[in-house]
Amino acid sequence: MAATDTTAERGGAPAARGFNPVAWALAPERRGGLLVAPAIITLFVMNIFPLMWSLGLSFFNYRANRLTVPDFVWFRNFERVLTDDDVWERFQTTAIVVGSSVALQLVIGFALALLFAKSFPGRRILLMLVLTPMMLSFVAVGVFFKLFYEPTFGLVSQAVAIFTGEPFVVLSTPTGALIGIIVADAWMWSPFVMLLVLAGLVSVPKYLYEAAEIDRANWWRRFRTITFPYIKGLLLLAVLFRTIETFKLFDIVYLITQGGPGSSTETIAVYVYRMAFQYFRTSQASALAYIVLFVVIVLTSLYLYAVRRTSEAR
Amino acid sequence: MTAAMSETTAAGAAASEIRIEKLTKRFGNLVAVDAVDLTIGAGEVMCLLGPSGCGKTTTLRMVAGLEFATEGAIWLGGRRVDHLPARQRNVAMSFQFYALYASISVADNLAYPLHAEGLGRAEIERRVKRVAEILQLDRIMDRLPDQLSEGEKQRVAVGRSIVRDPTCFLFDEPLSRLDVQLREQMRGEIKEVLSGLAKPSVIVTHDQLEALSMADRIAVMQAGIIEQVATPHEIFARPENVFVAGFIGTPQMNLIPATVTGREGRRLRLDVAGQAIGVEAGARAEGIADGASVTLGVRPRAFALTDETEDSLVARVDIVEPMGAETLLHLIEGDQDLRVVVPRTVRPSPGEQVRIRHAPDQAHLFDETGRRVSA
Amino acid sequence: MARFRTTGDAGWGRTAAAAVVSLIYFFPVLWIILTAFKTRADALAVPAKFFFVPTLDNFVRVFSRAGVGSDQEFSTGFDLFFFNSIFIAGSSVILALIIGTLAAYGFSRHPLRGNDTYLFIILTTRMLPPIVVIIPIFLMFRVTGLSGTYIGIIMLYTAFNLPFAIWMIKSFFDELNREVEDAARLDGSTEPRVFRLICLPQVKAGLAATAVFALILTWNEFLFALLLTGTETRTVPVAMARTIGGEIGVDWGLLAAIVCLFLIPVFVVTYALQNQLLRGVTFGTVRR
Repeated sequence: MAATDTTAERGGAPAARGFNPVAWALAPERRGGLLVAPAIITLFVMNIFPLMWSLGLSFFNYRANRLTVPDFVWFRNFERVLTDDDVWERFQTTAIVVGSSVALQLVIGFALALLFAKSFPGRRILLMLVLTPMMLSFVAVGVFFKLFYEPTFGLVSQAVAIFTGEPFVVLSTPTGALIGIIVADAWMWSPFVMLLVLAGLVSVPKYLYEAAEIDRANWWRRFRTITFPYIKGLLLLAVLFRTIETFKLFDIVYLITQGGPGSSTETIAVYVYRMAFQYFRTSQASALAYIVLFVVIVLTSLYLYAVRRTSEAR
Repeated sequence: MTAAMSETTAAGAAASEIRIEKLTKRFGNLVAVDAVDLTIGAGEVMCLLGPSGCGKTTTLRMVAGLEFATEGAIWLGGRRVDHLPARQRNVAMSFQFYALYASISVADNLAYPLHAEGLGRAEIERRVKRVAEILQLDRIMDRLPDQLSEGEKQRVAVGRSIVRDPTCFLFDEPLSRLDVQLREQMRGEIKEVLSGLAKPSVIVTHDQLEALSMADRIAVMQAGIIEQVATPHEIFARPENVFVAGFIGTPQMNLIPATVTGREGRRLRLDVAGQAIGVEAGARAEGIADGASVTLGVRPRAFALTDETEDSLVARVDIVEPMGAETLLHLIEGDQDLRVVVPRTVRPSPGEQVRIRHAPDQAHLFDETGRRVSA
Repeated sequence: MARFRTTGDAGWGRTAAAAVVSLIYFFPVLWIILTAFKTRADALAVPAKFFFVPTLDNFVRVFSRAGVGSDQEFSTGFDLFFFNSIFIAGSSVILALIIGTLAAYGFSRHPLRGNDTYLFIILTTRMLPPIVVIIPIFLMFRVTGLSGTYIGIIMLYTAFNLPFAIWMIKSFFDELNREVEDAARLDGSTEPRVFRLICLPQVKAGLAATAVFALILTWNEFLFALLLTGTETRTVPVAMARTIGGEIGVDWGLLAAIVCLFLIPVFVVTYALQNQLLRGVTFGTVRR
């Protein structure tokens, strides 16, 4: 049926010889669907479907290590999770980590972007050096930062010992452990913020800066009137991405402190993991995970709202 | 008292002029501006006119301080500035894309350059108000640049320049983004505004109509050098070389290659594509020998259809282009194209043979190097 | 390829400042690299040693070493783990690019009814915390027997990379000038040809940016790999974690060597695609 392709490409009706499924599928009107289908299917199977299953799970009291048939318990899991003090404590911990880390990333990322905005000899190589932390696996960062924080051999401890003369145990106190995690996370991801801010900085039209030069505006005014409006959107985007990602923070915490000491650095993600795979309270874990998802959606909506407001104000 | 006054005026005059000496800009091997000399007096409007790539914008930017010269010197108001960055030169510049600050209002845009002068808020407000009145921006003072029309944006850009007291005013293609009607209107407005200020102004443009109507003097540039500096009238009536002659004037001047066949006093006999005509030549044409190649320049409106066979050319009508009150005829003779503008009432048809004759005092003659040799 | 866009030129002064900052920032990585060349004693020395006699021992031992308590050397299986990482990450990135580009093209050029809804849903899957789906996926994989297979984890990673790929590449397609395509269409080109010869080359920056980000993400992914790969399909991050867990004390030199080796492919790819990466980030976000 060599004529099939030509017919389909011409977009004409199939020949009168009858219904040709290949031509039907390849017709221009249906091409959109055909092109998009593989992606939608993959996403559905791997994301949407599990999502719905997860939701379903949370309404039962399924425990993965028991073979009993689960009962339908409506919202009891949600209730239990929301009234659990432990859960709120974890949320608090997570909030502290997210807030501090993202703030730190913003500051460092911004400073780095300013540094790399102009071209200078060796820029390419130095930029790669700064991007490297982002390219390391969480395991590497987690494990080696643990080494850095190690009381006897760790670099941090040794450096501090020069001043205080005593071994410095970073991870022994809740505050210290939190700071340790925050520093590790911020160090890893500030380059990401830097990339976004850099993209904004270089997209400002040169003639605006030239006009400011002619107008003899000082550094601060140039920043406020020209630079900042251009990068505002990107900064918000960076904040959104990093907030969501840090919310899900699991790997680093798990590897550096295992949530310790005690449970002071246990973030929500670690707690859910524990609940599901250590205590086998599968349904409850699902309920909690959904609540986290809800929080993320709220945060995203807030961001979209903020973006819409800034673009309307223009 | 008078002596003191004239002294101040003289000093004042020198104090507010732009002087460029041997200004050169090289980008690697490319010479964008080649040893340009130019002086612009107080209150004078100078237009840098030329095709794109001729170096006019680069020259302007060097005066502004946005580019540093490779060689040469620049004096602004008696002060040598070529080593100073833009912010120390106290120049005002209006950009082609307006360069308005999008995040602040029109009023704040106008006030922007004044913050660097350490003026009080009352003074700033007063000046902004005055400029807004001059340029009719009163009603849009609170708007953001995004909400303005092209014409309004252009006026704000100009306003930002005149709200200050700079040593000179620079404009980079100020009207290029406006439609034809707006352009006409703005040309008049800008000229009016600039004439009220006693500072030198430089306007860069590629539109000759703009230059001819706004400038006190025009500097025609090509490939980094100034071909001619003169008043609009001079440029039009006595172009110094073939390039200027062909660049100024619409429709374009006819530039006809010819050979000198003889001389009768001040008249040269020329052979134009096999036809013979006589042309008035000036003192500079003395040295031209028989057989030399020259270029004859006649503007389309300097030609008229004629029946006389003396000193006239024969050609065939190719295309007839009505232009309203006039008609543009495209003629062909051999491989030479000619353009002639005739009144509406004259209507030859395509394919017809016609005779054209140039008005006697409106013929331009250029020697083989392109230099003007006619009167 | 176009150079990096920048806001201007600066001289050696900035190079000096940037060098100082970069090296300070890079220091932890530098330490890891140094540790990879140290002997066990040197690695744990107090005070910390910057100058030492380097050894390549650790790098060798990544792939084969003596077991605890014996002298016999055995293969650690890391050659398999490295292969797995390359294969799994590479396949999922390529798959995501192919499926994602087709979908992005479809969304852009042949919008369906409900196009915006689809796109919004796809965007939100990007926002999913993995913990929400980890449990069902774990169960799903167990039930369908995908646990520990290549196909399972590759498909999963592809699904992870798809939203970002679609979103980024679609924004590139949207920006393309349709006139060239229309002209080609009028000249008789079929749509697949137009797509291949005209559209694709112009979105190279988007493809590159997507590839780099997706690669970094899947290369280093830990949680799902931990739960869903088996002995044969294990990736390096998981193997690394197991190396720490099992042995007496941690062999830092060995670990550092693994990290270094593991870093190289990503580093090389990112360096090669540096310019495209920034252009891709710019286009994909600044236009919003």
